[in-house]
Amino acid sequence: MSRDTTLPVVARPPGTANRQMPTGARAALVVGLIYLFLVGVSSLEAGIKIMGADTQERLFSAVSNPIAGLCVGILGTVLVQSSSASTSVIVGLVASGALGVEQAVPMVMGANIGTTVTNTLVSLGHVRQSAEFKRAFAAATVHDFFNVLAVSILLPIELIFKPISGIAKWVSELLVGSGGTEWKSPVKKWVKEPVGWLKDLWDQFGASGNVKGALMVATGLVVVLIALALVTRNMKALVAARIERSLNAILGKAGGLVALVVGMIVTIAVQSSSITTSILIPLSAAGVLTLRNAYPVTLGANVGTTITALLAALAASSPDSLTVALAHTTFNIIGILSLYALPFFREVPVIAATAMAEIAVRRRVLAVCYVVGMFIVAPLLGVAILR
Amino acid sequence: MVLSFFRAGDSGLDHVVTRSVAMVNDARHSFDLACMALMSGADPQSVSDDVRETDLRINANEQQLRSELAVHISVHGPNDIGEVIGLILLLKKIERVGDHAKNILDLAESGVSFLDEPDIDELLEERRTVSGFFTEASEILAEHEGIPEGFRDRLGEMTSQIQSRIDAYMTSDQPGHQVVPRAVYHRYLKRIVANLNSAVLAATEPVRVIDPTE
Repeated sequence: MSRDTTLPVVARPPGTANRQMPTGARAALVVGLIYLFLVGVSSLEAGIKIMGADTQERLFSAVSNPIAGLCVGILGTVLVQSSSASTSVIVGLVASGALGVEQAVPMVMGANIGTTVTNTLVSLGHVRQSAEFKRAFAAATVHDFFNVLAVSILLPIELIFKPISGIAKWVSELLVGSGGTEWKSPVKKWVKEPVGWLKDLWDQFGASGNVKGALMVATGLVVVLIALALVTRNMKALVAARIERSLNAILGKAGGLVALVVGMIVTIAVQSSSITTSILIPLSAAGVLTLRNAYPVTLGANVGTTITALLAALAASSPDSLTVALAHTTFNIIGILSLYALPFFREVPVIAATAMAEIAVRRRVLAVCYVVGMFIVAPLLGVAILR
Repeated sequence: MVLSFFRAGDSGLDHVVTRSVAMVNDARHSFDLACMALMSGADPQSVSDDVRETDLRINANEQQLRSELAVHISVHGPNDIGEVIGLILLLKKIERVGDHAKNILDLAESGVSFLDEPDIDELLEERRTVSGFFTEASEILAEHEGIPEGFRDRLGEMTSQIQSRIDAYMTSDQPGHQVVPRAVYHRYLKRIVANLNSAVLAATEPVRVIDPTE
C-alpha cells in the first residue's frame, strides 16, 4: 500500500519514546551523580571539621532552640526547593559534629514543611482560572496542612519524650552498632579519595584553616545541590513512563494505601518529593485527580523523600547522622500512622485545605500572602527571635 | 496497581493509540449493528443493548484516555504537546462516530426500515464501503505509517456522493415519510465519514503547519 508522503507523520511508532540519551548511559550517569552527591556530603563534613570546634559551637548554639531549628529547616528547604538537599546537608552537619541529633530533628521536621512550598508555587500558576485554581490550591495546601499538623503534634511530643529520635537511635544501633562516635561506612571509603583531592586543590590555592574549611563546605554544598538536581532530572527521564503508568493506575480510584505507596515509590525513584507533588497539581487543577486521591500520594512522597538523607548518611562517619536520617523517616511514618490512619485527623488537612482554597479563590492576593508569610516571613521571624 | 511502576509496558501515548484503535473497532461494531437494524429487517431491540453498551464503553474510554493524556503532559512536560492535541481530537472524533451510530439505531427504533426499498442494494453497498473505511482507519492508527495514498480522496468522494443524495432528498417530490428518514440517515452517514476523515488526520497531522511562503 503506497503512502501519501505529502502528510507529515507526527505520531510515533509504538515503543519509540522521546529520549535523547540511551537508557543504559543515563542509568550510568545517575550512578555517577549519586557518587558525586556522596562526595559532596563528605566534603561538607570534612569542611566543618577543618573549621574547628569554635565554628561548630557557633553553629550549634544558633539552632539550640528547637523552634529556631524548625524555622531554619523551613528556610533552608525553601531556599533550595528540595527537602532531599536540605536534609542531606543536615546529615552532613551532624556527621561533622556541628549539629547534635536533638538540634537536627526539628530541622528535618522544618524541611518537611519547607518542601511543600514548591507545589504551592506551582498551584499559583492556575490563578487565572477560578475553578482550576481552587482545586490546585487545595491539592497543594493539603500537603502543607498535613505537615504543619504533624509537626505541631509530634514536635512537642518529641521534645518531651523523644520517641522519634529514640526509635531512630534504636534502629541505627541495630544497623551500625553503638560502639564509639565513628562507624566504618563502606561508602565512606569510596568517597575518601575525591574529598582528599578537593582538600589538595584548596591547599594549592593557598587556603588553610577556616578559609579552607569554608571552601570545602561551599564546594560540598554546590556539589550536593547540582548532583541532586541532576539525579532528579535524569531519574525522572528514566522512570517517566513508569510514573505515568502508576498515576494512571490510581486515577479516579479511591485514595488510601495504594496511592500512598505509589507516591513513596515514585519519590524514591526521582529522589524528590517536590517532583511527585508538583505533578499532582495540574492533574488536580484539571479535575483528573480529586483532592482525596492526591492527598495520600503526597504523604507517600513525604516518606519517599527521606531515602536521600539515608543515602547521605552512608557517606558520613558518625552514627548520629544515620540516626537523624532515620528520624526523618520515622517522623513521617509516625505522622502517617497517627494522622492519616485515624479518620478524624485524616479529614483535618482536607477540610483546612478546602476552606483555604475557598478563601484564596475569592481573594487571590491572600494566596500569595500565605506563601510569603508561611514559608519566608514566619520562619525568618522565628529564627530572628528565638535563636 | 502498586506494581504497575515495576512492570514494563507501553508508554502513555502508545497505550492511548492502542486503545483508540479498539475504540474505532467498537464504533464500527455499533455502526454495523445499527445499519443491520435499519436495512436487514432485524428487530432493533435485539441489537439495542449491544449498541448502547458499546457507545457507553466508547464514551468511558474517551474520558479515561483524556485523563491519561493529562497525566502524560503533567509527567513529561510539553515535549509531546502536538501528539497529545492530536490524540485528544482523535478521541473526540471517534466518540462522535459512536454517537452517530447510536443515532442510526434511534432511527431504526423509531420504525424506519429500508429493507423493502427499491435501492436497498445500493444502500447496502454504501454501508459496506463506509464500514470498510472504519477498518482502514483503525489500520492507519495502528500502523503509524501515515495515511495511504488516495484514502482521504475516497472519503472525500463518499462525502460528496452522500451530500448529493441529501440535496436530492431536499428537492424530491416524494412524500416526507419516505425522504426524511433517508435524508436523516445520510446526514448521519456523512458525519461518520467526515469524522473518520478528521480522526486519521488528527492522528497523523495534529497541528496544521501554516507556511507563510506557500
